[in-house]
Amino acid sequence: MRGSPVPIPTEVTVHEGPALLSGLTAGPGLAAHRARYGPLPTFDLAELTGSLESTSVVGRGGAGFPFATKLAAAARGRRPVVVVNLSEGEPASAKDHALATRAPHLILDGATATARALKASQVHLVLPGDRPAVRGAIRAAIAERSEEFVLHLAQSKFVAGQAQAVIQLMNGRANLPVTAWQPEAISGHRGRPTLLSNAETWAQVGRLLLVGPAAYAALGTPREPGTTLLTFSGTTGRPQVVEAEYGSRLRDHLPAHAHGRPALVGGFHGTWVTWQTLASMPVSHARLRVLGTPLGAGVVIPAGHDECPIELAARIATFLAGQSARRCGPCLNGLPALAEVLRSLADGGPGPAAITRIRELGDLVTGRGACAHPDGTARMARSLLAAFPGEVSAHIRGRCTMVAEGAVAS
Amino acid sequence: MSSRLRVDWPRCAGRGLCHELLPDHVSLDEWGYPVVTGDLTDADLQDARDAVSGCPEMALRIVSVPAR
Amino acid sequence: MTDGPLLWYLNRSSGMVLLVLFTLTLVLGILSTRGRAGRGVPVFVTQALHRNTAILAVAMLVAHIATAVVDTYVDIRWWQALVPWGATYEPLYFELGVIAFDLLVVVSLTSLARARLAPRGWRAIHLTSYVAWVVSLVHGIGIGTDLREDARWAWLLTAGCLAVVLAAGTWRVGTLALDRRTRRQPLLAPSSGVGVERLSR
Repeated sequence: MRGSPVPIPTEVTVHEGPALLSGLTAGPGLAAHRARYGPLPTFDLAELTGSLESTSVVGRGGAGFPFATKLAAAARGRRPVVVVNLSEGEPASAKDHALATRAPHLILDGATATARALKASQVHLVLPGDRPAVRGAIRAAIAERSEEFVLHLAQSKFVAGQAQAVIQLMNGRANLPVTAWQPEAISGHRGRPTLLSNAETWAQVGRLLLVGPAAYAALGTPREPGTTLLTFSGTTGRPQVVEAEYGSRLRDHLPAHAHGRPALVGGFHGTWVTWQTLASMPVSHARLRVLGTPLGAGVVIPAGHDECPIELAARIATFLAGQSARRCGPCLNGLPALAEVLRSLADGGPGPAAITRIRELGDLVTGRGACAHPDGTARMARSLLAAFPGEVSAHIRGRCTMVAEGAVAS
Repeated sequence: MSSRLRVDWPRCAGRGLCHELLPDHVSLDEWGYPVVTGDLTDADLQDARDAVSGCPEMALRIVSVPAR
Repeated sequence: MTDGPLLWYLNRSSGMVLLVLFTLTLVLGILSTRGRAGRGVPVFVTQALHRNTAILAVAMLVAHIATAVVDTYVDIRWWQALVPWGATYEPLYFELGVIAFDLLVVVSLTSLARARLAPRGWRAIHLTSYVAWVVSLVHGIGIGTDLREDARWAWLLTAGCLAVVLAAGTWRVGTLALDRRTRRQPLLAPSSGVGVERLSR
């Protein structure tokens, strides 16, 4: 993906974690995986549903939807399909990358066991077009296993990883979002119920089934048992992936360079927050959603020490506008307009109408597309106004106080 | 349950026929694409069906939404 | 009654009326592909006119065919009006008329079922109405009594319809070219299986 302010990583720093990312030194091989977890037991649908409900596993792709509900919907239909989405369209995210290269068999165990419980004939794997390390790691992992997988290659595009876009790809059409008249768990791949989740969700399911609900819930909080993966990335340097226990403090996981800096929480479609807000955040999908700063896919992008968040937001907005599939009118027209206002704000001195215009364009594009790309871009843009009102006013007057005193550097 | 118009955004080309037929429920944004507001009343339903069948891109549907 | 000249005259005159109706339908169809809300005649008005003239034309076409079949001056069996094969009277021009009719039957039926069809498929079939118009024009020139008798009004009408359709068609090609330049293009071509790989073991 050219033009991304946060480049797609070729290498990722993965920190040892308490659950999914534990025992990394043993390597990603199947033998080490089985030595650690034992053989994959077989579950029927009722047992699987019971385990998922007792541990409240939610999807880790961003929406945070309860996995058991999705499973139940898929189980009601005929001939369900199981899909592992490894395409990770967001350049700033690297957690699926980390799992694929460090613990691929957790992902594959989760999907395989669920497919067996659903009596699904095949497991589909959607691989990223722009992350060769992930493709290599997954190919190596499936070569060690006896099950059959159907592989698909997603295009290098921000919106290509979106659920409907993935189903389009699987059906042999352009890898772009379309209007979903029904959730894919009811009608997805060739009209069949499709249980599509991202790699981390499947790895969580895999670990839950391998260690059992009690051991799974030994970490985290009663409401949110277990852990979740976080990616810390920026315009420079290697992204870092950490596994954080639910209920822990986000600031305890942050890399040193993030301290004292504002950050974009939830990825390019996320919310800008000040350092004070960031430092007070708990690791919790549920609580952060209520607070209006959803964790999304677990991406945190701290602004660098020489970076103004408004400048970074403008660059991200320009990138996101270019990543529109250019199919839906409001997104096609609205995102470039939004990016232009943010650019004028970043450059300084656009006049106070810029603020009204950002709100207006945000309202205009939200909810008016086949996917959440316009909604997410609008959220990112509008959160600037909420998080940094003083800085926005300074930029309106042609000054930037975030980087250095004085006029905005051109 | 009540009825609402829903736009199939990738198909919509902003031709504005729905706005002509249902000005109370469909306004147009600055680029000419429909902005759908409000639930359909029984009186609107026939116009709404005409808009659905008349849409040149077949980009409009009437969907049921749970009553609020 | 069935051997009187009345049916023959009805057949001849309905043919000329059909030329006008088909031309009108075609032009209205072309016009309704254009226009933005709030400018000129509303799109739904043009569209409704297109649909209604089409229905009228189909009714007139049924009358045109029925009079030809029922009339005994030339021997046309009912099935010969449906299948482009086996006609004895002016076979070439007659069969062209049958082909135009068959095309229009498909166009009409697919338009009735438009909501249930894929938009691309419907559009592709609908575009064959251009072919049907040309074929029916040739049919009329070749077989139409008034034209063969060199009635001046008949030639003027035919030439007028041709000119109108040519003008509307040229305009449509122009708007298509304009659309191609200004309208959105999906950034990604359909993958059509490219990028899908199967791994079986």
